[in-house]
Amino acid sequence: MITLNHYLVVAAMLFAIGLAGVVARRNILTIYMCLEMMLSAANLTLVAFSRFHLHDGLPDYHAQALVFFTITVAAAEVAVGLAIIVALYRARQSVDVTTVTKLQG
Amino acid sequence: MSAHNIEIALAVAAVALLGLDAFVPTLKRDIIPKLSIGLVGLALLAMFFAKGDTPAYLASYYRIDSIAMFYKVFALVATLAALIIAREADPVIAHFTGTEGPSTRIAEFYILPLIVCVGLMWMASAQDLISVFVPLELVTVTFYVLVAFARRSAVSLEAGVKYLILGALSTGILVYGIAWIYGATGSMTFAGIAKAVGAASTSKSALIVGAALLLAGLGFKVAAAPFHVWVPDVYQGAPTPVTAFLSVGSKAGAFIVLTRAVQALTATGSQISGEVQTTLLWSGVITILFGSLAAITQTQIKRLLGYSSISHAGFILLALAAGDSARFGISSEGVVAFYLATYLPMTMLGFLLLAVLRSQGVAEELSQLQGLSKRSPGMAFALAVAFASLAGLPLTAGFIGKMLVFLAAVDKGWYGAVGLAVVGAAAGFYYYFRPILAAYSAGKPEDTALRWSLPAKATAAVLVLAIVTLGVYPKALQSALKQNIVLTSAGK
Repeated sequence: MITLNHYLVVAAMLFAIGLAGVVARRNILTIYMCLEMMLSAANLTLVAFSRFHLHDGLPDYHAQALVFFTITVAAAEVAVGLAIIVALYRARQSVDVTTVTKLQG
Repeated sequence: MSAHNIEIALAVAAVALLGLDAFVPTLKRDIIPKLSIGLVGLALLAMFFAKGDTPAYLASYYRIDSIAMFYKVFALVATLAALIIAREADPVIAHFTGTEGPSTRIAEFYILPLIVCVGLMWMASAQDLISVFVPLELVTVTFYVLVAFARRSAVSLEAGVKYLILGALSTGILVYGIAWIYGATGSMTFAGIAKAVGAASTSKSALIVGAALLLAGLGFKVAAAPFHVWVPDVYQGAPTPVTAFLSVGSKAGAFIVLTRAVQALTATGSQISGEVQTTLLWSGVITILFGSLAAITQTQIKRLLGYSSISHAGFILLALAAGDSARFGISSEGVVAFYLATYLPMTMLGFLLLAVLRSQGVAEELSQLQGLSKRSPGMAFALAVAFASLAGLPLTAGFIGKMLVFLAAVDKGWYGAVGLAVVGAAAGFYYYFRPILAAYSAGKPEDTALRWSLPAKATAAVLVLAIVTLGVYPKALQSALKQNIVLTSAGK
């Protein structure tokens, strides 16, 4: 029997993997994928809570509504983000975060 | 006309302007900026005649109350100021986007702030975590574009990438926090959360996980320690009008959300009000100290203002932590709103001067300010007013804001925290006065006089007047807005 806790643990693992990737990876595209994974973890948590918060035998749809907004926002974020990363690649011929060091101090 | 119609009209106008720019190739370069400024001015005017009633079909997500009205007006004023600064910075932006000359345009640079403004106005009324999240992201994603706008400038692009990664990270943390708060309380609305945080059936540990993640996500947006690392780099690299808008508009938007979230999480009987209060208090104190002490060695003025923005966020967090003070007759949300209202004119004035100076070849370095008082006495005076107010000199707006925060903290008996905050404020007197001293020191003989355009001069005059008026007669804000958001007895 799969319970709420199973979903929450999987989501927490996804979130942790994403966060570790953002901190440890150097390629900006990989970092971006890890960020998307963190959003997926949040979505999974929302859907799991929604499924197990029953109102009159039906799931509570408020959380599921937020999931759709999160997906849409993530798509918009990717569109803008990839454009900026492409501009960076054109300027530097690299998408390695360690080259982004002009601003310091 | 109800206030929410103004937001809808502004959103429609922004899309219409984008269409106008796309489909009318013969448009003159300065038409869109003028239209944009005109529209925001019109919306601001309409705001003073708007009725503060919430339509019934929106009631569970959206409410127009006096604090929401304040933040809506605030968003419009900040947008107007940012657009005026953008006009001053136009040659610099054109240089870094390859659009010099009258036949080219950079219309998006003047239209995107309208979209940010709509997001900020909507956020001010949000009563539900969904209607908080969507405008917050509308603002953040639009700022990704604006920060990286000068794409041929290596620093602007780099600032854009840093803001993108840390902004997206904060979004992930925020949504995960929302998910856990929803899981713990079973509700997405602030009212529902406020009711559930005190209930015995609510799991305290789930609530703490959710609240911690939510505060961390919002902490990124307001530049609270330890999530402030992006601020100096992004502020220095972004085009000056964008930095100004980011430091005032984006911060205010995040603070109204934070205010409402903290009110819900620390509602009467809440299981976690102590934890939330302690987190805000120490985050605030560390933010003040970090911002103030790291600013001491800065010589780049935009970076200096970045650290200044961090330290001001710390003071506002302290006000949020302290909550209402019956003894001094001040409310927590009132102090936050008042502090932001004093922060707007002084920061905008600082960035306006930087933009005017930059367009005439004066770089944003302290040493470049030398001899400013000879080259343009007016600019030197405005600079002195802005930085004195940022430091919190008596008779300027900044002093009253800081005093209210100290009063609220003293009322709670937090003498240690107040002592540390005073150390931060005292350090501020050192680093804020360095630009003023530089401006009034002797310059080089080959220096030429500097000129500024009429709109810039008029805006600077209005901002100087606002700083002095708020510093001498703080109640002016209350009567000007006809809103009972600020104080009852203190701050006289």
